Amino acid sequence: MSTISPVDKLGLGKNDFGLLADENIDPITFSVILNRFNTIAREMTLALEYTSWTSILALARDFSCAIYDAQARQVCMMDALPIHTNSLHVILRSMVKAFEGNVYDGDVIVSNDPYSGNTHVGDFVTACPVFYKGEHLFWAVTKGHQLDCGAYEATSVAPSAKDVWQEALQLPPIKFYEKGQPRQDVINMYLANVRYRELLYGDLKAQLGSIWTGRRRMVELIDEYGPVELSNYIEAILDYSDRRTSEEIRNIPDGTYTAESWVDSDGMGNTNLLVRAAVTVKDDHIHVDFTGSAPQGKGGTNGTQGVMEASAGIPILTAIDPDIPHNDGCLRHITCEAPEGTIVKAKYPASTAMATLCPAGQEQEVVWKALAKAAPERSAAGYGGFHCIPSISGVDKRGAEPADWAAMFFNGGSGGGASKQADGWPLIMTSSGMGGLKIISTEMSEMLYPIMMDHHEIETDSMGHGETMGGTGIRIEVRPYDTPMECHATGDGAANPPYGLFGGTPGIGGGNYREYLDSGKRDYCSSKGYMKIEPGEMWVGVSSGGGGYGDPLNRDAQKVCEHVRDEIISFKTGRDVYGVVMHADTFELDVVATLARRAKLSAERGPVSEIQPTTPGSSTWLKDIMREGDRYLLDPLP
Amino acid sequence: MQYVLGVDIGGTFTDFSLLDGDGQIKLWKESSTPRDPAQAIQQGIRALADQSGTGLDEFLNKIDLFVHGQTIATNTVIQRNGPKTALLCTEGFRDIIHFRDGFKPERYNIQLPPPEDFIPRYLRIPITERVNYAGEVTKALDEDSVRAAAKKLRSENVESIAVTFLWSIINADHEQRVKAILAEELPGIPVVLSSDVLPMIREWERTTCTILSAYVLPGISRYMVELEEFLHGNGFQHPLLIMQLNGGCSTVSKILQRPIYTLASGPAAAPVAGLYCSERTGMRDVITVDMGGTSFDVSMVSNGAPELTRELRVHGMPVGVAAVDVHSIGAGGGSIAWIDKGGALQVGPQSAGAEPGPACYGQGGSSPTCTDANVVLGYINPDYFLGGRRDIDPELSARAVDMHVAQPLNLSVPEAAHGIFRIINNNMVDAIRVVSIERGIDPRHYALVVGGGAGAIHAGMLARTLGMTKAIIPRYSGVFCSFGMIVSDVRHDYMQAFATNTGRFDLAGANKVIADLERRAMDDMIEEGFPEGEVTLSRYADAKYPAQIHELTIPIPSVGDLSETSIKLMEQAFHDLHERMFTYNVAESPVDLFHWRVVAHRKVDSPAIAKFEESDKPLSVAEKGTRRVYFGDINDYRTTHIYDGDKLERSMNVIGPAVVEQANTTIVVFPGQQLEVNEFGDFVLNL
Repeated sequence: MSTISPVDKLGLGKNDFGLLADENIDPITFSVILNRFNTIAREMTLALEYTSWTSILALARDFSCAIYDAQARQVCMMDALPIHTNSLHVILRSMVKAFEGNVYDGDVIVSNDPYSGNTHVGDFVTACPVFYKGEHLFWAVTKGHQLDCGAYEATSVAPSAKDVWQEALQLPPIKFYEKGQPRQDVINMYLANVRYRELLYGDLKAQLGSIWTGRRRMVELIDEYGPVELSNYIEAILDYSDRRTSEEIRNIPDGTYTAESWVDSDGMGNTNLLVRAAVTVKDDHIHVDFTGSAPQGKGGTNGTQGVMEASAGIPILTAIDPDIPHNDGCLRHITCEAPEGTIVKAKYPASTAMATLCPAGQEQEVVWKALAKAAPERSAAGYGGFHCIPSISGVDKRGAEPADWAAMFFNGGSGGGASKQADGWPLIMTSSGMGGLKIISTEMSEMLYPIMMDHHEIETDSMGHGETMGGTGIRIEVRPYDTPMECHATGDGAANPPYGLFGGTPGIGGGNYREYLDSGKRDYCSSKGYMKIEPGEMWVGVSSGGGGYGDPLNRDAQKVCEHVRDEIISFKTGRDVYGVVMHADTFELDVVATLARRAKLSAERGPVSEIQPTTPGSSTWLKDIMREGDRYLLDPLP
Repeated sequence: MQYVLGVDIGGTFTDFSLLDGDGQIKLWKESSTPRDPAQAIQQGIRALADQSGTGLDEFLNKIDLFVHGQTIATNTVIQRNGPKTALLCTEGFRDIIHFRDGFKPERYNIQLPPPEDFIPRYLRIPITERVNYAGEVTKALDEDSVRAAAKKLRSENVESIAVTFLWSIINADHEQRVKAILAEELPGIPVVLSSDVLPMIREWERTTCTILSAYVLPGISRYMVELEEFLHGNGFQHPLLIMQLNGGCSTVSKILQRPIYTLASGPAAAPVAGLYCSERTGMRDVITVDMGGTSFDVSMVSNGAPELTRELRVHGMPVGVAAVDVHSIGAGGGSIAWIDKGGALQVGPQSAGAEPGPACYGQGGSSPTCTDANVVLGYINPDYFLGGRRDIDPELSARAVDMHVAQPLNLSVPEAAHGIFRIINNNMVDAIRVVSIERGIDPRHYALVVGGGAGAIHAGMLARTLGMTKAIIPRYSGVFCSFGMIVSDVRHDYMQAFATNTGRFDLAGANKVIADLERRAMDDMIEEGFPEGEVTLSRYADAKYPAQIHELTIPIPSVGDLSETSIKLMEQAFHDLHERMFTYNVAESPVDLFHWRVVAHRKVDSPAIAKFEESDKPLSVAEKGTRRVYFGDINDYRTTHIYDGDKLERSMNVIGPAVVEQANTTIVVFPGQQLEVNEFGDFVLNL
């Protein structure tokens, strides 16, 4: 929340405000236009949410909406999914370039092409130019995650796709509408190459409705102020964000900070792929260099420019005042690079099907870890991965006629990392989403799909511990009725758990498995891979809680007693990790004994580590839980 | 009809609006008595009886309609001072309220703490049982686990219990059996079942609705029963009616079965009040705004019916039931103007509240507020603030605006004050846009009805910016909501889940569901003392295309059994609504129907308010003098006529610029606008 900052208290003279620099900018109109932009982005978002057909958009809200100027500079956005909103400009610039001189009022340009600057093939971008009296002034843009994109398997994030031709129908910037007329032949070709075409056609209409809403409102805004005046104010708004971002970055000490993280596997059996970053803070600019990261993987875990730009930016935007309007003025302070042929910036035609989850998660993680060294109080502990959010599909035979069904199942989402001032949230679902995704209720899931959920609860001790604690991880158990259920795990962060900071411990990492209900035997699956769940079997996910922040021995002991009482952590964890002594039945805190125990633990342990873990593949969850006769499957293929 | 009495318990005051047989309205205030809320009501009633020159018995005997609104239930939730409450839930699903919908606001704010669970985890007790989507029991209820839970709750001294099992909307046997067991094990402890309060799919919303119901029930039941006994013991002959969040009223006995309806019921009377004012001028499409000290509330009425929402939350928790859709933002008279770190002027959402209040109160507040800006601009008369009941110092307003806004932005003081005025107007317009546009409604075709003490200063600008031609300011705009209560119908909502599809419609099944709902509705109304002939029943269903997710509520044929023709009508109604809301439909597709709803109304006789006669008096009789007022059209103050609102009569036209003052309301007539009084005494601002 903003605080009220009376000018006299800040000690600022009246000319310190940059707004006054330009005689043409009336500060009141400035605020009015700034608020109006937020309303427009919000309206685009509502239009998309209410009218889309698939649960991934209508319930989970895996989409984002934004307005750009004609030069593809971000003017405003709704804070939807950071991985989208911080990279939409990259694909839009490719669209601008592809149709330079051929953009008309009434056009709709679409693309899903990661090598043109999109994030991954599952994300489908629609953009329409906003014309005013014959002049092209803005773009209204949405990006929505499609239930399907024509991959070789029924998932839009295929971990085992070997190349771009296996992962999806590739759509470089292409017009679906020209001068107000649909190019139905082109749209038909698209729909002919994706599964669930009726649903996807509904979603396409929703995305078009959203950008057309944005266009209509922008035209009204231009009408009100005139193109020249409006453009002056937009410059002022971008400058305003620019100036505030500058001030915030200048507060971070200059220097180069490095960090490392690891991708569990590349979907094709190669494990612990390194992602490395050197983050250089210089004055009001931050440059992220991913040189030193592993060569590109064989499956779908590679990234390209769009994901890299977004991932470099997300941790930095969380380190500055969250009230700064997010637009090009912030983004222009952040640059990044990576050598081609690495997992961060793959070379065509490598598959990048999973890019927004992995390597995006690890790219964000290394920037965050590096920032932790530069600005400890503005960083966060690690966010859990996506391995308990499978793409599930099958045939529903409950109705009059069998029907294909598919869903992305967000309910097993992982926890968020703790920060200096706050415990992590549950279900934050990676730092690409940062809590912008919603879950689908158990009852809705069981009504829409032929499945039964047996369990959906907090997993005790799943989160990282610390003075502030990671968001809770979840145990989820799902069974098919009488038809098999195909499960694609499409995440990461199981073998390499979310890190803890400044004495905070990592989350558990977790995993997922198939259990045979008659024998109780289990097949554990790595964070990505394919498993078919037959009737009589069950899919179980145990997601990781987020990492902890600060020394657990400093956590409010009364709260620790409550966590034990509530079975969020075990009695043993309360005693051994948090050093809290309590009555085993009433959970009443023993203040004196706790002080003594904490002092003793602290002395035995010595200084706390800055970041844990420091080595790849450190999760012990699998080792601890596997029993005689259980199997482990690394990246099982369809 | 003799007397109609509306009583509204607020945090500070308990407001009374009494309408007598001659159509005259009398207003009265008592200080609220939070420990024993009924006490303030009793005092107020005695005072009103005294003033009417009758004894208490005679006075109460003359009251035909007594409607009561309150914020007690909401405050209990917000202040967390209700009973110790536990939840019994399906085993394996203890954390529904912890997981919520998984959404986190403020994406980039990593220092934002997660919300605290309303019921801690150790009081969320799993019960072994399970029902599937078709209502089949897949795991029998383990009664021992219920008795074990009861034992634990007893040892924890739990005072109220919520029970929410998965799919109890299709098969409520397990919930009902649990209630019976708890009645044996924990006699006297209230038990609320989710299948009773919200038989609707989506377990999070149903769980929070059940928990909130269990949480507020003991508190409201105590004083409402006491109040009703007092009234009936002293001559009142009718049921005491309680205002509900659906914009209608209920008897005490019914509302105690559905306590969720007592939440957020304060602002729910606003759209009805707005409709009452605009309907008699022929407008049935209304946007009602209510601006108070800290917040600005927007609600809508379309074709005579208040727009409802099922998204309403109290303290972050969905209430689940259909509630009057009141969109609220932090924009009120007390909203503080401030310069953010980047140098941009912002107004609100922080408010100076009543303490210390705006700078002009001289109570130590130094931050400029919206009220201070209105004082600087000359809209508010410093000698007649709240009808002269509060002294304010315009110098303090000017100083606050100067120091915190004008100097930093290098503006003159009136320019800065006008800036604050413009920004708060813009925030309010955006709020109105959000509400109307979310419903696919173009606000230009709606009437604007402006309530609340502070609203009428801004009305002309709001209407102008939205492109509306007319704004209505009710004569009693300061007590808008308590007035709204006395023109609200009795209303009960009933709902049942039953899945079918227009392609293979189960006529017999649907007709049985509707018949059951209607019988329950009619039985309730008759039990409450309303004759069958006075009750109207309307039917609705929640519909969607088969593969779609979000549902739309459509009206369905409301007389007799559904027939083959009705199926076609329902299908068409859905296609039409979908097109209106979302710009397209899929006319070739069948339609899924899931929740069936029946709404029972018992129309309250609209109280007749004395009409205003034409008058041949000149406008000058209402003139109070002149004052310098700043409108922003020229860069200076203008000498402007000030009128006494109480002396304005029907024939008089006030041409802007002008200011019209009443004790509780100030209306600014901007240049180019004109104000008149209609036959009902309301002020109509024409643009």
